[in-house]
Amino acid sequence: MLKKSSAKNPKKLKVSHNVSLLSALPWIGPALVLIILVVIWPVIELVRISFTDISAAGSLLDFNGLTNYRDLFANPDLYPVASRTLLWVFGIVFFTVLLSLPLAQLINQNFPGRKYVRWALIVPWAASVVMTSMIWSWILDAYSGELNLTLTQLGLISEPVDWINNPGSSFYVLMWVAVFVSIPFTTFVLLAGLQSIPADIVEAASVDGASHWKIYRQIKFPLLRNSLLIATIINLINVFNSFPIIWIMTKGGPGYETDTTTTFAYKLAFIESNMGPSTALGVMNFIIIMIIVAFYLRATRATRTEI
Amino acid sequence: MNKLIKRSFAALASLGLVAGALVVAAPAQAANVTIKVVTPNYTDAMPAYYKDLNARFMAANPTIKVEHENLSWDDILVKGRTYISTKSYPDVLNLNTFSEFAAEGLLYKNSDLYSEAKLADFVTAFRDNSTYNGVEYAVPDLASARMFFINKAVFYGAGNTKIPTTWAEVTAAAKKIKAKYGSKVYPLAIPLGSEEAQAEFQIWAGGNGGRYFNEKKSKWVINSKANLQTLNQLKAWVKAGYTQPNPASTNRTDAFKLFSQGKVAMINASVFFPSTLKDYKSKVDYGVAPFPSANSSKKPITLGVQDYFMAFKKTGNQDAVSKYLNFLFEGKNYAGFLKAAGGFIPATKSASSEVDSSLLPFIEQLPNAIFYPGTLGSWGAVTGKIQTQIGTGITKDAKTVLKSLQKAAVAAGTK
Repeated sequence: MLKKSSAKNPKKLKVSHNVSLLSALPWIGPALVLIILVVIWPVIELVRISFTDISAAGSLLDFNGLTNYRDLFANPDLYPVASRTLLWVFGIVFFTVLLSLPLAQLINQNFPGRKYVRWALIVPWAASVVMTSMIWSWILDAYSGELNLTLTQLGLISEPVDWINNPGSSFYVLMWVAVFVSIPFTTFVLLAGLQSIPADIVEAASVDGASHWKIYRQIKFPLLRNSLLIATIINLINVFNSFPIIWIMTKGGPGYETDTTTTFAYKLAFIESNMGPSTALGVMNFIIIMIIVAFYLRATRATRTEI
Repeated sequence: MNKLIKRSFAALASLGLVAGALVVAAPAQAANVTIKVVTPNYTDAMPAYYKDLNARFMAANPTIKVEHENLSWDDILVKGRTYISTKSYPDVLNLNTFSEFAAEGLLYKNSDLYSEAKLADFVTAFRDNSTYNGVEYAVPDLASARMFFINKAVFYGAGNTKIPTTWAEVTAAAKKIKAKYGSKVYPLAIPLGSEEAQAEFQIWAGGNGGRYFNEKKSKWVINSKANLQTLNQLKAWVKAGYTQPNPASTNRTDAFKLFSQGKVAMINASVFFPSTLKDYKSKVDYGVAPFPSANSSKKPITLGVQDYFMAFKKTGNQDAVSKYLNFLFEGKNYAGFLKAAGGFIPATKSASSEVDSSLLPFIEQLPNAIFYPGTLGSWGAVTGKIQTQIGTGITKDAKTVLKSLQKAAVAAGTK
């Protein structure tokens, strides 16, 4: 049913192809220069540096081939960190989407005060992640945090629980904060998806006697697929790159026990003065991100042709 | 991004060189020199101190211009390194390490900057710690030593009569405190969080004869028997419930706060701790004693830590940085520096004679001081690793943790 519009699109694209690159240059030139300087050049430099020997003081010495990569992969601490990163990325994205789906449904309903609920939902997104992380570490502080205070007053605990630093809960607390900051964006992408579902289809289904659950399962959810896909992939990128939450709440410690590859790369470079392997890890992180971006581009292309 | 900044710095620097060449080419003009001074913010009194010092210095030396940058410790550790790696060296730098820069031949020798009489005024032990490969490349600016602090009310209230001098006595005292106060007070704080874990471990290990580096044999000894015993002893105290929970995640600042609130009975703390307690408006009545050693056959030690002034070699700046540093270390100016830095031990003999009486017990400990192997170029890298990893020995196998640290240190080298 959506094929009609897809037939229209290529025509429009053709028109834009007729403009020659040269005549477009004055318009896109400044942006291109900016992208080359700020995006592409640093990437090239990153790759170049990763093949260079770097002194403890940080000066570049000689080209040394794959040594940095060999050192990185010979580091036994890398592997637990890498598998924790998988848990971090997929765990957070899974729970974010799981919680965002019903939330999007909720704020798509008409009820008094909906506007305020929507605003409230945006706050964690609008606030800086650094701020949010600090507020959570205060809430969860063992000795003066609000959570322990409340639990003690309710008589649920008798001694303060060190949520952030207990080895059993530490990483999950960090994951929860990451879910908390990811929910607003995801919910609003899904809300946009819900609002783009034509009302007549839903109406037709309910006239035909379909239950609410059936309408959701068989009509709304399939039509949400594209928003879901985009929300998921953008979250994958964000969460993978996420640095401030971990750094502010635990610094990846104790040891490397709450590190992901992102904080680990920083730690190698600036705490352990081990610049070489850190740049190699930077390149690896970049490759992983590029793979996710490739999926993103495919997904958005799929979206474009279908709607 | 870094590289981008680096390039623009390089471009600026080369412009600067051209400009410099022009100045030199201009005949019979007194060369105007600008020196960049980068310093850490020991306390918030530092910027005002430097503002006054630099104004007076520039008035006395009209051909020298001083640009001053005062950074927090967190910033200077990262930014300082960024300056070096982007080759935009400051002229004068005040930092907690110098050897990695000396190793790369970036620094002036002390003999290039100071007269022998001036150098002779620095406390000998601190001066010895400022050498790289036997040559002095930096001067100490101040130092700290550590002692054992107790909360008198809690400590004596639990029935203890004497401040512990051995580990066994620490255990006995902790047992009494725990019996009396239960979960209200932690008998002993052991902050092995990344902030200062290297110091916390070293001061306990030092009382057992343990070190990170053997100077005589010039090799790393992190996984020595003495260190292993120490880590296991700390572990035993944690297991017995005598310490705050999760020592590996407790930073020194956290532990200091607990002590200031009366929640800790015994703690290792530095010479500036009294002024910290004052800042926290703490009402704790504290006592200070030499640090307990492993047993009565081992002598008590303190951990000495010093920071440095160093000057980077650049064409035409030697005379200016020499004048500047000599000016800073003049009697009154240096006294002002110490006052602004707040409660540290002076690095010169002349200033040591007129210190505040609260510093005296710490200065008395200095003959027993052990130091980090700060003269090694690789110390910066090794200390970073110790800071983040040594605390994990509390929950993991102590031997494995020390072994992996040893391996990393050996890989970092002994230069």
